Amino acid sequence: MRSLLLRKLLLAAASGGLLLGILAPAGAVPIFARKYGFECTMCHSAFPRLNDWGQRYRQNGYQIPGKEREDESVSESATPVSLRAMAGFNSDKFSPDGSANVSQLQVGNVDLLSAGLVERNLGYFLLYRPQLNGSRGVVAQPGTLEMANVVFSHLAQRWLNLRLGRMEPAVAVFSPARHLSVTPYEVYDFTFPGGPAFSDTQTGLEVSGWSRTANCQWATGWLNGSDTNKDRDTPADWYARVAHVFGRGEGQTTGQRVGLVGYWGQARPLLDPDAGRQSFNRWGADASLNLGPANLALQYLRGSDNARLWGTVEDVDFSGGFAELTYQPAINLVGFARWDTVSTPDEVTRDVQRWTLGGRYYFSDQLAGHLEYSHRTQDGGVPASAQLKEDFFTARLDAAF
Amino acid sequence: MRRTLIVAVTLAGLALLVYQSGLLAEAGLFANGLLPPVPIPVDNPQTDAKLRLGKQLYFDKRLSSDGTVACVTCHRPDAGWADTEATSTGVGHKRGGRNSPSVLNGGYFVPQFWDGRALHLEKQAVGPVQNPVEMDQTPEQVAHTLGGIPGYVTQFQEVFGEAPSLELVAKAIASFERTIVSTNSAYDKYLQGDDEALSPAARRGMDLFNGKGHCTPCHSGPLFSDQQFHNLGIGYQDGKFADVGRFAVSNRLPDTGAFRTPSLRSVALTAPYLHDGSAATLLEVIELYDRGSIQNPYLDPLMEPLNLTRREKLDLVAFLQSLTGEPIKGDPPVLPE
Repeated sequence: MRSLLLRKLLLAAASGGLLLGILAPAGAVPIFARKYGFECTMCHSAFPRLNDWGQRYRQNGYQIPGKEREDESVSESATPVSLRAMAGFNSDKFSPDGSANVSQLQVGNVDLLSAGLVERNLGYFLLYRPQLNGSRGVVAQPGTLEMANVVFSHLAQRWLNLRLGRMEPAVAVFSPARHLSVTPYEVYDFTFPGGPAFSDTQTGLEVSGWSRTANCQWATGWLNGSDTNKDRDTPADWYARVAHVFGRGEGQTTGQRVGLVGYWGQARPLLDPDAGRQSFNRWGADASLNLGPANLALQYLRGSDNARLWGTVEDVDFSGGFAELTYQPAINLVGFARWDTVSTPDEVTRDVQRWTLGGRYYFSDQLAGHLEYSHRTQDGGVPASAQLKEDFFTARLDAAF
Repeated sequence: MRRTLIVAVTLAGLALLVYQSGLLAEAGLFANGLLPPVPIPVDNPQTDAKLRLGKQLYFDKRLSSDGTVACVTCHRPDAGWADTEATSTGVGHKRGGRNSPSVLNGGYFVPQFWDGRALHLEKQAVGPVQNPVEMDQTPEQVAHTLGGIPGYVTQFQEVFGEAPSLELVAKAIASFERTIVSTNSAYDKYLQGDDEALSPAARRGMDLFNGKGHCTPCHSGPLFSDQQFHNLGIGYQDGKFADVGRFAVSNRLPDTGAFRTPSLRSVALTAPYLHDGSAATLLEVIELYDRGSIQNPYLDPLMEPLNLTRREKLDLVAFLQSLTGEPIKGDPPVLPE
């Protein structure tokens, strides 16, 4: 009885937060919009997806390009704290094993963010994910400092910028943190047991830059390991990324962007820690093509992992990717459809297919209604077992304030 | 469960705190708002007599070398205190190289002119009088001309206690120009709580202006201008600029082709637009920005293509029209003889 009351209180508190989002004035609440007095659409085509300008702002170390001298530090500007949370109905059904099925109203994806400028050309970004214990009505999440990094901008004009700390490496070209769907990009998450996912935030150092006249962007970084525990190993993984934009824009909402990415790392097999570090690599190509209100995001990725990382006889070479079409007919309405695929060798047999369809309607700058359906299949693996199927549906509110 | 509850309540409470504390309202580095009173320089205080004199001088063509051009010739009250021509005609039918900027709200600008070569209105007002393609006068000629008009001699004595001179002419005109302020627009009324003052299209346009349209970073503050210089690539062709703009003043390469951000108050009245008057309508200007302006080596980094729809462009125009202030009478005064 007491726990039921607590659950109701919890939902009421979260609903209250969401209600604030509804009632809040249109003058955008989250950190940067509040700082400048901008609408969210200054940087987001549809939050959390960035538009060209938002991408440029992020690359510029959270300073408005060309106005770095005017930009205020966090000590001068509005409170640099934001909260993001989702609440709604989730249905997640698995077969053949339905023991993890979910079908209920839930609150989750709670993030607390702080970001801004310490001083000119020195920015920071913090993302804290408070611990939530999974129970009825609450989606579990471990308490983590998901991101904590500083950005030194304009070390050599726009050609050289440095990001240091726990961050989202540039390898995840279509940022999982800023994509529209709830379901993940499968190929980013596909890895050997205990291995790193492209969608993980990691600790390291990244240098990046761009040239407006050459229409190119580049980044390279060193990460503090991708071992069986991705954050606590000494070998430094290395990655590189280069992209070119045809036409004007950054390729987010205008221009046609094509890019290449490579990642080289070492990891200790989870199944055989004494085997020493084994190498793996990823490389891929991507494109972000824009035509008016439509964007087609394409990602192709190949991976090659040492056999010991998988516990197989042969090295495991896999490939995969996704094609995601986003269509935004109005500033407050966006739809998306995505196909994910991962192909694995016969020895592993963990092929993945996912179809996702969804849409978001923005009630205000701070509040979006989100509908999404996704069907996923995954081969059972070795030894061969039944194909795993998942049907996911969600109808939720996504609030940021 | 209790821990979860504490976390959730804390977060909700934090959100409530941020919301309730009014931090949202106070925020906004670039927020637009109501115009404050025009700043009056201590060394040029306003008096009724000085304003009357300034208005007469503003309308008086005898200040030009051939008696055909006055300030009002290129800064017409019936054209938003600007000119309807792309570039204006001066003495001897000579053509200027730039579009006549509106005098509306000129008192707020620091610096003056498209290229910022004058710091304040007193300095600005002497420029056109001496410009060979505008009024083509020397300070001596101005003093001589006005000194030969008894009515002016009397008024200058009354206002300044001195005989007419170009410096005092500029002071009087500057004082008059500080009274030409665009106020009480539909947008101002909206800011003051009249939700009906803006049409639905203008409200959508306002959101676009401050969001997807990316207008606010430059057209910021109550004046809708950051008073800085930006390169849009206007006049850039075959690797050259027709007009180097701010570079001619600052001698800094990044300033090449850069011009001062104009105010947008009453902008609907001041066509044509841009420093060379090459855009006939507001929609043309918006189309230019939508394309990300014109690519050139010094293009302002703020310029990115906008991907606006046709309706969004029209909404932006509707918002810009809502910035039109109440009409300011500019009836010609009786000139001294």
